[in-house]
Amino acid sequence: MPPQLRLNAVAFVSPQNHPILIRTFVQGPDELKYHYIAHTSLDVIDERSASEPPLTAAMSSKSTECYMNLLYTMEDVAVYGYMTPLKVKIIIALALTDAVVRDADVLTIFKALHTVYRQSVANPFLRLSAPIDGYNDNAALLAAGSPKWKAFRRRVDDIGKAVGAVAVTA
Amino acid sequence: MNSYPPELLVQLAPVMFVAGLDAQTPQSSTNAPATPSTQQPPRPDAFQLLSMRLRDALVSQRKVAIWQPEKSKTFQVVLVDKDVPFPPRKMLRPDDPQYSASHSPLSPLTPTSPLYPDGVIAPIWIRKHTTLVPSVFVMFTRIYESPPLQAGQTEREREVEEKRRDTELSAEIAQRKKSTNERGLKLTVVLMASRRMLDDPTLDGRLTYIRRQSGLDPRAALFVLSPVSPTEIGDFVRSLQDALWEPALEYYTNHSKRVRRKRNRHSQATSYQLPLSPMASAGIARPLRPEGWTVRYEYKMACFAEFRGEDQVALKHYQDAYSTLIIMFGSTAILPPRTKRWAEAKVLADCINVKIVKLYLYNNEHSLALSHQNSHMRKFADFSRGWGIGEETFEFWSWLARQHRVFAELLEQGTRSSLKIPTAYPTPTLSAAALAVQSLEASQIGLEAMRVLGLNPNQALQHPGFYYYMAARCTERRRERFLAVLETEVDGQQTNSPGFANERKVDHLAIVLELYTRAYELFKKWSPQNSQNPGRLTLWIAYRIAQTYYDSGKFDMAVRFFERIAKTYRRESWESLLHPLLSQWYACAQQLGDMELSVKLLIEMLAYGATASADDPDVLQDDLLAVLQSTVPSVTEEPLVVDLSESKSILDASVVFWDHEIDVGEQARFQILLSSQPNVSLSSIPFTQLAIHFSTQAPPLIIKHHQPDPDVDVPTVQRFDLGAVVVAPAPAEPAEIEAELQWGAGSTIVFTGSVSSALPMHISVSKLVFTIKVNSWWIEVPIVPETTRLENALVAPRWLCSVDPPRFIPIRREDHSSVRVRHRPHQVEVAISHEGPAYIGEEFPIEINITNQDDRELEVVLDVLLQPTEIDEAVNHVAMDDQRSTSLLKAVACGVLAPGVSVLKKLYLANTGAPGERVIDISVQSHSTAQPPTSPVSPTTPASATAPSLVDRSETLRTLAVPTVLPIEVEHAVTYRRPTKPQPGLADLMTFEGSQKDEAAAVEAVVTSIVSVVATSGLVVENVVLHRKNTEVAEVMDCSVDQDDFSGEWLAGDEFGDKCRISVIPNAEHPDASIPGPGEYEVTWRRLLRDGSHGSLSTTRFPLPQLLPPSDGLIALLDAPTTARLHVPISLRLTVRNRHPTRTATPTVQIEPDTMDAFVIAGLRHGRMPVLLPGQEDALTWNLIPVQCGLVRVPRVKVLDRRSAVQLAGASAGGGATESEQAEGDDVEVVDVRWDGRPQRVLDEEGAEVQIVKGHDAYVLVSSAWVDKGIGIVGPRKKSLQVMRA
Repeated sequence: MPPQLRLNAVAFVSPQNHPILIRTFVQGPDELKYHYIAHTSLDVIDERSASEPPLTAAMSSKSTECYMNLLYTMEDVAVYGYMTPLKVKIIIALALTDAVVRDADVLTIFKALHTVYRQSVANPFLRLSAPIDGYNDNAALLAAGSPKWKAFRRRVDDIGKAVGAVAVTA
Repeated sequence: MNSYPPELLVQLAPVMFVAGLDAQTPQSSTNAPATPSTQQPPRPDAFQLLSMRLRDALVSQRKVAIWQPEKSKTFQVVLVDKDVPFPPRKMLRPDDPQYSASHSPLSPLTPTSPLYPDGVIAPIWIRKHTTLVPSVFVMFTRIYESPPLQAGQTEREREVEEKRRDTELSAEIAQRKKSTNERGLKLTVVLMASRRMLDDPTLDGRLTYIRRQSGLDPRAALFVLSPVSPTEIGDFVRSLQDALWEPALEYYTNHSKRVRRKRNRHSQATSYQLPLSPMASAGIARPLRPEGWTVRYEYKMACFAEFRGEDQVALKHYQDAYSTLIIMFGSTAILPPRTKRWAEAKVLADCINVKIVKLYLYNNEHSLALSHQNSHMRKFADFSRGWGIGEETFEFWSWLARQHRVFAELLEQGTRSSLKIPTAYPTPTLSAAALAVQSLEASQIGLEAMRVLGLNPNQALQHPGFYYYMAARCTERRRERFLAVLETEVDGQQTNSPGFANERKVDHLAIVLELYTRAYELFKKWSPQNSQNPGRLTLWIAYRIAQTYYDSGKFDMAVRFFERIAKTYRRESWESLLHPLLSQWYACAQQLGDMELSVKLLIEMLAYGATASADDPDVLQDDLLAVLQSTVPSVTEEPLVVDLSESKSILDASVVFWDHEIDVGEQARFQILLSSQPNVSLSSIPFTQLAIHFSTQAPPLIIKHHQPDPDVDVPTVQRFDLGAVVVAPAPAEPAEIEAELQWGAGSTIVFTGSVSSALPMHISVSKLVFTIKVNSWWIEVPIVPETTRLENALVAPRWLCSVDPPRFIPIRREDHSSVRVRHRPHQVEVAISHEGPAYIGEEFPIEINITNQDDRELEVVLDVLLQPTEIDEAVNHVAMDDQRSTSLLKAVACGVLAPGVSVLKKLYLANTGAPGERVIDISVQSHSTAQPPTSPVSPTTPASATAPSLVDRSETLRTLAVPTVLPIEVEHAVTYRRPTKPQPGLADLMTFEGSQKDEAAAVEAVVTSIVSVVATSGLVVENVVLHRKNTEVAEVMDCSVDQDDFSGEWLAGDEFGDKCRISVIPNAEHPDASIPGPGEYEVTWRRLLRDGSHGSLSTTRFPLPQLLPPSDGLIALLDAPTTARLHVPISLRLTVRNRHPTRTATPTVQIEPDTMDAFVIAGLRHGRMPVLLPGQEDALTWNLIPVQCGLVRVPRVKVLDRRSAVQLAGASAGGGATESEQAEGDDVEVVDVRWDGRPQRVLDEEGAEVQIVKGHDAYVLVSSAWVDKGIGIVGPRKKSLQVMRA
């Protein structure tokens, strides 16, 4: 039986370590916990990206480079990390179960989230009222996650639902 | 870990009893007489020192610890007396008949045992094996050494004494041996003897005697040691342990065997058990169940294996014991909950779990260890629910916290020595080969495949900090549950369980704090070393610690933590984390009574909109107001400055200037937008004033609050006019304006105004300072208008253009937040005029007209730069006034121009070389002569900062491209003629005199020059002169210019010509080298200006063309008169000239009369001329009598040079040569001197070069005798043309 993944929270963090979007899929007062988890995960990601071993050309396929694997487990969640080539960090918190979590599954979720992120940031209307020059792109990333723009949230929620749906039907 | 009996946790090792090294009783009775001199000063006895060192070496080699994975052969040493008794094996004495049926005092079957009747195993059992019973017994003792022979003592006496002592020693050893044998222990005796004794020949005999007498084993039972150095003691200890290791293992193996036998017997026996129901059994002593026995025996075997250091065996037995124990827990019949035995068994289970986990970790099986730990916690959590101590009780959380803590402590101990925490990243950093191998294996083993593909996050071991954290979290929950129970108790229900009474005594928060602190330290240790950034994980723990401090009422500690944590969260703008932190911080500040801090925090919370919601935007300001109203600040003399530069500002401020550059004295319009957060209302915050600080020395602009009508709602957008502000020269008094400083939720106030400066400078708004004054509070909130705030970066700054409805224009300039004030640019008009195109060779005048249109007096300076050209041979220069340069005319002063005055400057451009465009840059710099307004600049301002911008200078640039063309073009045509005058004879002395000019060789060149005027404007030619530059080889003989007068006005397309004769001597050695023309035409002209006047005098020179005169070898010149009278004889003269420089010529001449000839010829018909030396000539003359009238042909003369007999068929060129003639020599060209036709290179219609050779037939016009002389002469006519391709 494939392991059931339950997605508890998703966080997108900008290259400057500012939060872009944090979505939690569990009800209750735990929402703040996932903010903390997202924030603390940056430590592990920083450490891992800094100590990245020089991979040989044969080994360094794109996806494995981005994938940061299990960052840590804390209480009832396992935290996984992913860093896009442009250093946007995606962090997911999976409910901790006593089963092997296949990297391929986690990577699939991450790739879906990455795609969602790209689609949302590519929205030209984010930069609608931007000054002609003198604005940094980071602001656009952050704006994508602001409450004003709903599409990003909706897409992330869709992925959350999709992961949940897989788990239910499996 | 301290909550468990240490016996059940420590790492077991073989136990060695060591006797005889007691420091307190250094001298046993045996050797007391041997050292009678006790009065000696206490010098360190060698043996005392030895035993002390031995003691240290033995005891210090191994510490009792839980984590000790290394497998060196070291014993756990226990120092005992020599005659220490062992505990009895059984309750009864061995001589009792019931002995075989009786049991050990610790057995559950023994009624006096603490385990009676149904205990499983007790820590005392372990203690028995670690402290009371050894596996080997080592006895240190002194062998008797006779003192040196004294007077009156014989050898014999001495031997007897020795024998007696040895026998005594043997008896003592034998006594000990007896008791150790009972237990199956190995006894080893170490005899300490002096170094002298070792050399004693009798020693061997004595040792044998002692061994035999005492019944010691033959092997490894008797050692002799003399006082040695510490290192050698180490060696000794090592060899002693090596020797005793085997017997020790054997001892424990025997125990294991015995226990296994008992277990097997037990399980086979299937001894009946009374089917007692749990209800009935309550309170009734019930014997231990078979499962209990299994646990007991497995546990014992595990311990014995652990003693032996066989970790795998131990692990197996521990696991068996654990699983059976779980079965026991599964049934309330076997282990009724909440009884003493149950509690004991729980402790045992926890300890076995620790042992199992530890053994896994020894073997680096991290995931197995972690999974066992997890399953242990899960299983017992399940059991707990059944036992009524589920997740809702504090007991459960206390237990769970203990599990986490024990595990964390185990890991911490482990990581301090040998344990390595694995890292999940990078996952597959294997070489490709290893990966292939792995995938191959994976295909064979399914489980491995799973491992390769991913990992179970539940089994990923992390550093102990995480588990401490978990323990702390569990303890927090424990406290919650406890507090809940406490509440119910307050409500009246009394809970009198002993557990609760115990729980009351527990200081939960202290435990939590301790656990968090340890977690914090470990997180710090495990985080990458970075001093300036403490790591976010540690911050999280720190936040927890702060919370715990808060809960335990240590607010000052909490505040210190909050302060540190907030820094990072602010910097990384994690507002979601900052909000709860600020609220809690505020709560702390309130508790501490630190009002300044409270106010600061409240303002920061206002800025973040923390805990504010859109429904109730007034919460925070009400809090702030309440604080301000009800409290008094500690300091009232100076303001409390709330610096929000690190965090968000309370109001979003943006400053927009409409223009980015203005002139001095002009008004720069600006707007300052101050907007509040959409969910925070600031309507009741009593801002008393707002100071706008400009980035100049000017005093700030003060906006005083003016109380509006309280009934009117705060509009979303308000606008206040600040009027015109002058920043320089700075006004002495700060301007004050009144406005309503009141913001609702999400409202904006726009201050509009204009700023001007009398000095050039940069103006921006450096900060806005809000002042709040309530009661004795005086608070200042500075806001720095930021252009690059993260949230606003995507929204261009706005300019309010209409208040109702509010409408904004986005200002998309980058430098919208500042304005540059510069001097008014000078109104200088520069007009340039010229009559292009310029002609090469003339000084072309360009007029520069500079007019001061400004109202200021300007000093004007002019620079002219002539750009270098790439045109060939172009040497150009510009000149103005007295300056002249090929590139730059620098700083031509034009003087001070009053307003409206203009100055005219004439620039002359002179060009040579090829036509083309000449580019000139003209720069007019104007400099105001007026003194800059003296500003009251304080002496503190650095003068250098403002000085350069004060210089009022501006520059007007013009670039001019002047097309340059030729005014006059010239075309030359050259023909050459041979001289007809007689050559000086060979022997003529004149030839060798003075002039080296070879007159004989001279050729006459006729140059026809056609000069055409191409200047579009037309020229006035003043003069045309041929300047002769005669050389030795070329000399102008005469020219027509000398006579003609070309002066006058010539328009474009007009042409005039000149003919010039030049005597040229061809270069005999290089006939192809051309000779420069011996002179040049100089045309002096003036430009014909548009208004009819004439320009300046210019000169254009054209050199005569290059001359290339032909050189002849042998040549014949035919000279005939042009006219003749019928029947009047004429003479035909043929001159043969040898121009060849070296060869002689042997010409033959033949005249070819024709029947049709119009002449009667008298003279040589055919004959040979004398040999002609080089440079010699000879002539022949015929007399001809014309017999016909009209234009008649002179008889053809043929000259052959017979010097060379070689016949060159067809090579002879010349129309006169007859082809049928037997060629007897080279044809010599016969030229009619009257028109010297020479080969000339001309171009045909297709552009190809052809040679035109004119015919050589000569003609004479013969007239009748009566024809008047007045009839004109008809010149020779071109008869035929033969065209040959070049």
